[in-house]
Amino acid sequence: MEESLASPAGIPIRATLLDGLIPELTPLLWQVARAAGLGAEDAEDVVQSSWVSLLSHLDTIREPGAITAWLVTTTRREAWKVAAARRKTRPADTERLADIPDPRPSPEDSALLDAEQRALWGALRTLSPRCQELLRIVAFVPRPDYDAVAVQLRMKRGSIGPNRRRCLDKLGQALRDSSGDS
Amino acid sequence: MSTHSADLSPGEPGDENVLAKIKALFEAVDPAPPDLAERVRFAVALADLEAEAARLVEEAAFEPALTRGTAEESRTITFDSTELTIMIRIDANADGTVRVDGWLAPARACRIEVSLRDGVLGVEADADGRFAFPSVPRGTVRFVVRPPAQHAQAASDSSGNARMKTVITPALVLLTAW
Repeated sequence: MEESLASPAGIPIRATLLDGLIPELTPLLWQVARAAGLGAEDAEDVVQSSWVSLLSHLDTIREPGAITAWLVTTTRREAWKVAAARRKTRPADTERLADIPDPRPSPEDSALLDAEQRALWGALRTLSPRCQELLRIVAFVPRPDYDAVAVQLRMKRGSIGPNRRRCLDKLGQALRDSSGDS
Repeated sequence: MSTHSADLSPGEPGDENVLAKIKALFEAVDPAPPDLAERVRFAVALADLEAEAARLVEEAAFEPALTRGTAEESRTITFDSTELTIMIRIDANADGTVRVDGWLAPARACRIEVSLRDGVLGVEADADGRFAFPSVPRGTVRFVVRPPAQHAQAASDSSGNARMKTVITPALVLLTAW
């Protein structure tokens, strides 16, 4: 794979590499940015600038999984930074920012969702914000890149303790609770 | 290798199923804008060029008589980047191809490539920064100037010491006559 990263003819092949990865990974990065609480416009900006800054780091990245991890980490760090800045300028919005800020119709009554999805949505909302974010990101990470992303997320954000197992267990519990209720 | 993967590595059998449902859920309620990838691609292409592109600074056509006695003109074209000036001169060959002579300033031994529609030609510049492509098909090309270290040992230096960027020229049409 190294060969495809350090191309013989320079830019054109580099661009080709990115052309292949951009459509594949952009939806993941969008979710990363949105999970940090960004509005649509900020999320798009952050995703774009992550890709652009990847250009100057491409020479130091050796495998495709590491590219995914680098992009996720960079997008997440930047998204939280922007989200924090937004919160500061709009203090009244803190509660809403803890949720998923979304101008679209609320998922609870969205006609797009079936009953199972509405239940899943409801259960997700009972989890801690960290679990919500973690599961949302993990769900979009391509399987072969799991390990690389896991290492990155844990190292850079050790105190957050992303713990897929714990979050999934809580989600399962919440789903069982809600189905018992109804 | 699995020692590092405690957080995200696949766990119980049902996990993948749940994660797939979470993914489908967010794809339904909050999908990435459909044109986002396209806009990213454009931003990346633009940034890539800005980082490395040489500018066309001067172009001149000469009367033919002095050089070859053919009806065709020569052209000289000058490109500038932050670290390098590239001058090339294009002359017609009898067989319909063109000859390209070039000079780099400041002089340095680099690899010069002509990227054609369907391939790449490469030559080394000498210590005076001169290089020549005796026969290049006419058509649209770009010149790529690569620092010696980069093609010899694939970007392995982290020192940043006297490291030259790869420079790429805008596309130009190799023709001597109009």
